[in-house]
Amino acid sequence: MKTPYVKRHVTAFWFFIAPCLILFSVFFLLPLCLSVGLSLTNYDGWKTMDFIGLHNYTELVRDSKFYDALGRTFGYTLFSLPFKVIVPLLIAILVTSKRVAIKGLARTMVYVPSLLSHLVVGITINWMFSAEYGLVNYLIGTIGGEPMQWALNPRLATFVISFASNWASTGFYMVIFIGGITNISSDIYEAAAIDGSSPVQTFFHMTLPMLAPTTFLVTLLSTVNLLKEYALVQGITQGGPGLNTTFIIQFIFDKGFNQMQYGYASAISLLVMIIFAFIAFVQFKISNGGDK
Amino acid sequence: MIKRTLPKYFWPSILTFLVSLLMLFPIIWLFFSSFKQTGELFSYPLALLPSEWTPSHYFKVVGDGFFVYVFNSLFLAVVGTAITLIISAMCGYALAIYRFEVSYTNLIFGIFLLGTLIPGETLTVPIVVVISELGLYNNIWGVILPVVTTTTGIFMFRQHYLSIPLSFVEAARIDGSNEAQTFFYVMLPLGTSSIVTLTIFSFMWRWNDYILPLLVLSDQKKYTIQIAIKNYIGFNGVDWSSILAASVMSIIPIIILFIILQRYIIGGLSASGVKG
Repeated sequence: MKTPYVKRHVTAFWFFIAPCLILFSVFFLLPLCLSVGLSLTNYDGWKTMDFIGLHNYTELVRDSKFYDALGRTFGYTLFSLPFKVIVPLLIAILVTSKRVAIKGLARTMVYVPSLLSHLVVGITINWMFSAEYGLVNYLIGTIGGEPMQWALNPRLATFVISFASNWASTGFYMVIFIGGITNISSDIYEAAAIDGSSPVQTFFHMTLPMLAPTTFLVTLLSTVNLLKEYALVQGITQGGPGLNTTFIIQFIFDKGFNQMQYGYASAISLLVMIIFAFIAFVQFKISNGGDK
Repeated sequence: MIKRTLPKYFWPSILTFLVSLLMLFPIIWLFFSSFKQTGELFSYPLALLPSEWTPSHYFKVVGDGFFVYVFNSLFLAVVGTAITLIISAMCGYALAIYRFEVSYTNLIFGIFLLGTLIPGETLTVPIVVVISELGLYNNIWGVILPVVTTTTGIFMFRQHYLSIPLSFVEAARIDGSNEAQTFFYVMLPLGTSSIVTLTIFSFMWRWNDYILPLLVLSDQKKYTIQIAIKNYIGFNGVDWSSILAASVMSIIPIIILFIILQRYIIGGLSASGVKG
């Protein structure tokens, strides 16, 4: 290879990379370093910024509200996760089935809720679940049930948030599952049919195992998305009743932007970042990256 | 038996249609509710269709300055998407095309991949500090610049250009085109399918952006749609009649874009630069 030729290409490489690399450094790598630095101070977003060592962290490990928020987030995630994975999988199987005629229309209809902002998703579902004059309570009333206090009961409020979150993500995960299903070779289905495998047997012994990498991907994505649920909650309960639906990201924002404890919020952020990464790592290890 | 006369795809299709309708139903309910009169919104019995259609909630929301927020959101979405497209295409292209000449392409790609491992939400506090320090607080650029670099976009274009034979680039070079010309005139037009896909996603992300606009934009004239909608949720409860109309208005552009570009995606996937 000729040196000036390659040299010119290296220059071109940096020219093409520069805009992304600069913006990424300023708005991602720098904040990443900054959050370590800020977590060691009592920065209030305005004037005070004294180095206080690990004080934020010692305070954090004794903060029962932090554990409550983290526990609520985990509970919410564990409760919602099975639905997040199973519902899109079942719908994807429906809309890839040879026995369904309206695949395109159905896919579009299921996908549309994924286009909405999380705030509007929250509002849309909240409107159906409002305690007075909400559709769900009305339907419960017409079959003779008592109207439910969706917003006042912590468990019901968490359920509504979970319902909204599932509704909004189903279309997107369905598309991922459709990709996984269409990648399975049709030959093996023919082979199974010739061997006399029933549709149920085929599903459990062939489709499901072959979809393991896709299922892993969806599980991983939904776990992270559930752990960081925020905007949707703002459209439904804003964290209430009390703090009963205040998940960890909202907890950080409340500390940082409402109580002006930027330093403390940075310490929580960093710890939460590590916890999230650890959860993803454990999932990755358990599933072997989705490989059989 | 009657069942035998039905085609075998009849019941599965009906089931699929019902499930899809159920998924779409909350939006349908929201849409019709937004045209009901305030009195009808809060009285039993409930009906799907308004007994008397009224656009008054829409007039109220428009009177509240909604088109200013629509304009701000459009600016954020259009400019943000344009920047995302061009810089992601450049970056993904460079990471793919110079992989044999530049030894550290994988290292740089790895740095960008960090962006997917760490959720942006956990970095919001220091990002807002950086935005303020750069003097971008209460400035629309303060909500555009931090989010235009997406690892998804870079990844998408990198994969795309990895699949295009390097002979395309070699041919352009032999014809005397310089590196920038090769990219802009030869390779960029070959990336149409990635461009369309990323356009939909990026436009949707920016249109629906919530956290940064909420934290960075303080002047009401600079609010985006999402923030304007959020402000109908007060301490004393939700202004339902307004928020329903505002939500419907916020959904419409994104659904229209999706319906238009959905076709292009299907067309774009079959189009290819290499002819057999």
